Amino acid sequence: MTYLFQIFNGIGIGMLYFLLAVGLSVIFGLLQFVNFAHGAFYLLGAYFTYDLVERGYSFWVAMPLAAIMVMALAALTEIVLLRRIYKLPHTFHILVTVGLALIIQEMTIIVWGPLGGNVPPPEGLNGVIIVGDFIYPEYRLFVIAFTAVLAVGLWWVLEGTRIGAIVRAGSESSENTALLGYNTLRINSAVFGLGAGLAGLAGALAAPIRGVEPFMGLEALGIAFVVVVIGGMGSYTGALLAGILVGVTQSVMASLWPEGARLMIYLGMALVIVAMPRGLLGRA
Amino acid sequence: MKTINNPIFHFFLAALTVVCLPLFLRSGVLASEILIFGLAVAACNLLLGFTGLLSFGQGIFFGVGSYVAGILLTRYQIPVPLMLLLSVVLGALIAVAVGWLSIRRQGVYFVMLTLAFSQFFFFLAYSFSGLTGGDNGILDVPRPVIAGFDFTNLWSYYWFVAVIFLAVFALMLRTTQSTFGRTLSAIRENEARASAVGFPVRAFKIAAFAISGAVTALAGALHAMLIGVAPLSSIEYHTSEIILIMTIIGGSGNLFASLLGAGTYMLLADVLSTIWPRWLLLLGVALIVVALFMQRGLWGLIETLVSHITATSKRTPNAATERPLHRQADGGKA
Amino acid sequence: MINRRRLLQSGAIAGASLLLPGLAGRAFSASEAITVGIPVPISGPFAANGKFASLGGILAAEEASREFGRQVKTLDLDTEGKPATAVRKVQDAFDNNGIKLYAGGILSSESLAMGKEALRRNGVFITTAGADEITGTDCNAATFRWSVPTYGAIEQTVRPLVDMLPDAKRWYTITPQYVFGDGLLNVAKDIFKEKGIEHVGNSYHSLTEKEFSGYLTNAIAARPDVLLILNFGSQSSDTLRQAVSFGLKNRMTILVAWASGLEQFEALGPDICEGVYFGAQYWHGVDTPGNQALVKSVRERFDLTPNYSLAGSYILTKLLVDAAVKAGSIDGDKVAAELRGKTYEGLTGEETIRAQDNQVIKDYYLLKGKAKKDMADKDDFAEIVSQGKSFLSPEDAGCKMG
Repeated sequence: MTYLFQIFNGIGIGMLYFLLAVGLSVIFGLLQFVNFAHGAFYLLGAYFTYDLVERGYSFWVAMPLAAIMVMALAALTEIVLLRRIYKLPHTFHILVTVGLALIIQEMTIIVWGPLGGNVPPPEGLNGVIIVGDFIYPEYRLFVIAFTAVLAVGLWWVLEGTRIGAIVRAGSESSENTALLGYNTLRINSAVFGLGAGLAGLAGALAAPIRGVEPFMGLEALGIAFVVVVIGGMGSYTGALLAGILVGVTQSVMASLWPEGARLMIYLGMALVIVAMPRGLLGRA
Repeated sequence: MKTINNPIFHFFLAALTVVCLPLFLRSGVLASEILIFGLAVAACNLLLGFTGLLSFGQGIFFGVGSYVAGILLTRYQIPVPLMLLLSVVLGALIAVAVGWLSIRRQGVYFVMLTLAFSQFFFFLAYSFSGLTGGDNGILDVPRPVIAGFDFTNLWSYYWFVAVIFLAVFALMLRTTQSTFGRTLSAIRENEARASAVGFPVRAFKIAAFAISGAVTALAGALHAMLIGVAPLSSIEYHTSEIILIMTIIGGSGNLFASLLGAGTYMLLADVLSTIWPRWLLLLGVALIVVALFMQRGLWGLIETLVSHITATSKRTPNAATERPLHRQADGGKA
Repeated sequence: MINRRRLLQSGAIAGASLLLPGLAGRAFSASEAITVGIPVPISGPFAANGKFASLGGILAAEEASREFGRQVKTLDLDTEGKPATAVRKVQDAFDNNGIKLYAGGILSSESLAMGKEALRRNGVFITTAGADEITGTDCNAATFRWSVPTYGAIEQTVRPLVDMLPDAKRWYTITPQYVFGDGLLNVAKDIFKEKGIEHVGNSYHSLTEKEFSGYLTNAIAARPDVLLILNFGSQSSDTLRQAVSFGLKNRMTILVAWASGLEQFEALGPDICEGVYFGAQYWHGVDTPGNQALVKSVRERFDLTPNYSLAGSYILTKLLVDAAVKAGSIDGDKVAAELRGKTYEGLTGEETIRAQDNQVIKDYYLLKGKAKKDMADKDDFAEIVSQGKSFLSPEDAGCKMG
């Protein structure tokens, strides 16, 4: 019975991982850009939420606002800095985004201090659901439902709309979008902003679960990479599947062999790449 | 321009650095660490600059070398030269395994794979704490006393490191100048062509990995003896990241640039960290500046300066025709 | 401001040591400056600790300057939380600044490594780190430790709680997988056995874990009366925060055996901490003359309430400087001899430095989180429930000093 709970809990963790990773995946798919600053946008999303809630705003205002602020900031960064380096080798993508992540992390410490803080779950969601032996926080349940709705919405945007078609065309080659007569530059900024904004949203949603501290971005980055690589870079459904897989592995391993949980995840990641180079659902 | 790209000149520069560090640095640890990381960075450069492989797994080999030193010297009293040899062998073996699996993919996938392995080995070291000491690491790693020569003092250990550094540096220079090294460059320039011409591209890449792993593990072993501990942090993702950053800062065109990169990074970090607790912010800015304006690293900067000086002093038309050469040295496409 | 002054100081010290190459190894005159190195993580994930430790050192040095009428300074050494950097900075400070006295080390790994270095160079290193090896199997003549070992931390938290809650017969533990965690767990298991308590389960987790819901799900399924959390720092905050969100506080008693004190309460807030038990090395509410004086001067000097990092660093620095002045030397062996066996009025009352293993014998505290409405001021997060001293003998701790 415990395993059933662990699997359910794992899906809960996994949905958050999906949200965190899908932005990275989309950015990679469209821009062929390795973004080591993705975790830093997650960090910012969490801290913006923290700051707004501390100022007395409701979580329901703070959460979307934080995501939008991160999105705007990321789009601005793209316009000012990142679009200058797309054409450079990956080495420089790494250098710039590692630098960016360091700057954001240290700025966080300067502005909010090194200690970190707590974001209480919103009113009405701070209780627990009890089903027999199983207890689950209402807020986590909300996160699962919310991300599920969001996942469907995103899927619809990417698969069913013109924007999605452009993004998908662009991920095959940027000349495609240009051929379609769209402004590639503007689309790039929008997609980068959207991807980072999703990381920011993941941070905002995670804040009441994990609290905030200046180094939460590093852990998030590691998980996002694992999910993207297992799921396949640029693959939306891949990120969803892999996010849930990683979450469930982590949760079930907590019962089986806790100290080996991370080992299994990275071993799994290596195995997937070796056996299925494009990831589980990556495009060839 | 010819002189500054001559390998003998590079060796001369490296030797000069080795001699000058004690004159300008009061810290024997810092001086030794610069040489040790110089080795690790040169090994990373062999992959990045010469073969075009952006490896995020150099920390694995560094950590392995560090653990070999820790385990063999504290638990089995193996003589230091033999220990160094074993660390080199084990580093090469693990690098072959990691390389063999990683080079199946290219570009970003390759980077991600090396990253995955780096995490995997970290958790391996963490989980098998009986062998590695887990989070505490292995303490009391001694410095060598070989044939009556006592290298336990910091500056005498510096010279021990210096001799090994110069020997390995010379060997690596020779390697890059050999047919083998030129083949690696050919692979970097155009892998498809190299493959079409009939080079066993994969074997060459794995061989490059083996050399890189061996040298990095040697650096790791020297480092453990320097600080007297084989810590878990040596095999962490951060070690990989720092080695890579030093490589890019120095410039990926030649091996002396790697020593330059290691030295600059370490000195800068040492100074900045005493000035401002938030010095990592400055480091972040520096990384972005390098990516935007110094894409060929410090060595590229020096080349440009030298070419300007020679151009203005001689005022020969030659200087202009030499410009395109820089582009070739640009390299480093992952 | 502090940073700029620090830089100037380090320049001055460096200059002095250049001019006086023979500085090391001889008794100093009464006018000479004493400098204490503060090797703590100032950047990196443990930066918060380093920031406060630095302040504690400064305060102790300022007080000593006034008391002894000579210049006493501290020099911060950023260890970045890595043993390699820590050792390098300490080696440099020995060579270039002539510093032989070190008070710091937050993480076990860096502290163990620095202790070894202090011994090699005839310096003294005193720390508040958690690893029992420091005054146990890896003890040495030059390394001292102020913090109570895992044995005392469990004896002074689990035992009183068992006595207070006679009906709580089922305990569940969450333990980080390494020496420190196992140290705490083994002592707890001994008490469980002695008191006839059923240990209904344990979850090990890695030091990098942030997501504890899986472990909490296991814990809930085991239906314990008490949840004993044995990790520390941000991990114990994460565990507690998530445990509270799973509603565990209403179903069982929660004890965090190795809490970091005020910093942790500030990060978690009173809503989470209310009714939870915490074990602590130090609490600013401790009613001793030494502590009241410290709280007063920290409020005046920094407008802060002293937390564990600050108070720990303060007392470490003070102990070193007092001993150096008394010994008339900064040589490690002489200062260490002065420290060994010393009994003094410390922050937690009477404290003794045990001569056999250089372990400070002091109180450990069991705190209980207060409700927000009961807090007298913004830092009054907890009340002291019980306190006391429990230590293994040096032989049982495994210390064989050469």
